[in-house]
Amino acid sequence: MTEPILEARGLTKFFPTKRGTVRAVDQIDFAMAPGDTLGLVGESGSGKTTTAQCVVGIYAPTQGDILFQGRSIGATAAKRSRDLKREIRIVFQDPGSSLNPKRTIKQILATPLAVHRMASGREQLARISALLERVELPPTEYLYKHPQSIGGGEKQMVAIARALATDPSFVVLDEPTSALDVSVQAKIINLLLGLQKEMGLTYLFITHDMSLMRNAASRVAIMYLGKLSEIADTADFFQMPLHPYTKMLLSSIPVVSDEEESLKPAKGISRGEIPSPVNVPPGCSFHSRCPSRMEICDKVDPTTVEVAPGHVVRCHLFPLRREIS
Amino acid sequence: MPNRSPLLEVRSLHVGFRIFEGHLRVLDGVTLSVHEGERVGLVGETGCGKTTTVKSVLRVLPMPPAKVTGGEILYRGRDVLKMHRHALHILRRQELTAIFQDPLQSLNPVFTIGSQLRDIVRDSMRTPEGKPLSRREIEARCIQALEETGMPDPARIMSNYPIQLSGGMRQRVCIAEALSTNARLLLADEPTTNLDVTIQDQILRKLDRLVDQKGASVLMITHSMGVVRDLTQRIYIMYAGSVVETGPTRQLLASPRHPYTEGLMASVPRLTGRGVSEGIPGRIPNYLAPPPGCRFHPRCPHRMPECSVEAPPMFDVGADQRAACYLYRRPSP
Repeated sequence: MTEPILEARGLTKFFPTKRGTVRAVDQIDFAMAPGDTLGLVGESGSGKTTTAQCVVGIYAPTQGDILFQGRSIGATAAKRSRDLKREIRIVFQDPGSSLNPKRTIKQILATPLAVHRMASGREQLARISALLERVELPPTEYLYKHPQSIGGGEKQMVAIARALATDPSFVVLDEPTSALDVSVQAKIINLLLGLQKEMGLTYLFITHDMSLMRNAASRVAIMYLGKLSEIADTADFFQMPLHPYTKMLLSSIPVVSDEEESLKPAKGISRGEIPSPVNVPPGCSFHSRCPSRMEICDKVDPTTVEVAPGHVVRCHLFPLRREIS
Repeated sequence: MPNRSPLLEVRSLHVGFRIFEGHLRVLDGVTLSVHEGERVGLVGETGCGKTTTVKSVLRVLPMPPAKVTGGEILYRGRDVLKMHRHALHILRRQELTAIFQDPLQSLNPVFTIGSQLRDIVRDSMRTPEGKPLSRREIEARCIQALEETGMPDPARIMSNYPIQLSGGMRQRVCIAEALSTNARLLLADEPTTNLDVTIQDQILRKLDRLVDQKGASVLMITHSMGVVRDLTQRIYIMYAGSVVETGPTRQLLASPRHPYTEGLMASVPRLTGRGVSEGIPGRIPNYLAPPPGCRFHPRCPHRMPECSVEAPPMFDVGADQRAACYLYRRPSP
């Protein structure tokens, strides 16, 4: 791998609550090369959004560190330098609540330009128009509209334009299309992939939709109860899923054609629900739902093993580095 | 199945809403049917009128602002829209049952699961002699209903409040409520949309088994093509208030004919990883002033002059498959 643009090392985020400590993110490691799209997939409560929020600096990690271009950035945004905040941006899930309803689209897009002192006056207007064009919204039509007068997909495009306003190199996409219909989702995904090529962006793409990941990500990471179960390049990942949880997820996806049906692992029995991150089961946290559970699983937490180049699994079924046929 | 008369038949249903800005013409002639023992899917994107259709069938749309401006809803040949309160009550109590998307909205937060479930069973079930069930029978029936949905420890769940359960468990409770009776037609409106895929998978398989056991018919409303493919035999695709295409589920999903269905299917991300299409340009029309003729014509790549004049009727496009599009009009002899 080339020099990673972003690296998480033992990243941990706990939230103390009255009912115990919520272990939202627990010692995760991953690295992303420039131009990558890492798809972070998991069920609700698996800690994927907390991971993203640590990366953009909404939370400071409890333990561990995040490196951006080799420099430690494990602090909240308030303590980060302005340059750093310009480089790492985020698009949230629900554009209805992430865009200020009282402001026009022009005002919304002017804010990052003003904060980062990138443009003002006539130059600012030109930059805003260029941004809108970049996300395929005609500026003359959209500049003075308010968010509530445009559709959900268009709102998300404005949110994307806002994220791109500062010429970032890294964008966190937190479920950017899960509130949208498929026909709109398709458009946004194509736009995002086009922008990535054009601007050399790196994406941390958070989603619960595996079929979408197959089409959008270059690498996929599966998260379960604050830990990463499996990471691999997208093609490897879907051809040779190894972790029992991954297989369970894949076999649960409703698909729309026979061809896809044949790509799913044999019908595994999906059972149980994700336990509360306050009471994480001992040993491997997945053992309570695992169909291939062994004796060791509820006693010892498995370690991460690289079973093939770039393909990492955390499961007792893969105790040693070995060739898999 | 034309030789059997359908269990539920919706004929050219028009429903509008009077609001401050004017008259929203939402349903524009929805026609569909569900036969005895059949599982039918009603699929479409946000705002296409799926839920309005279901709520019209159940007669739970608040009127006003809603108003039925045309068409009829026949259940076993009787018009639901003309039923009086008592007949409607019996219909809902004994024949129809529904599961909605958000279980927190369909469960009452201040009563225990047990108390809500007992109410339903007491109200809608009778012994073979037509007498009300005894307390013990009601209790047993409730526990059994919860057990059937795969709920661990049903006796404890009975004394819980909805807030104490996870989303998946709440939806299981709703399924238990819906299937605790001997209802003949289940209306399921996006029952698994808020759930994770592994939970969705478990719940759909349970639902599938239970419906089979009870021999009930299902009208499943969803926006997920994958879910209807797993669960239904026949589907209706809805766009902007009317059905644009219908046919056997797998056949239709494999070879969609209506330009809207084609665009929709091309937008669905697949596990084969060949990328997704550009989506469908534009968005769903404003119901205050819907486009004349075919409501899809402003977004349609195959638009013809007649499309904006009159809405197309259904044309045959394959075995049991029909699409409302002039592309499939047979040349007049």
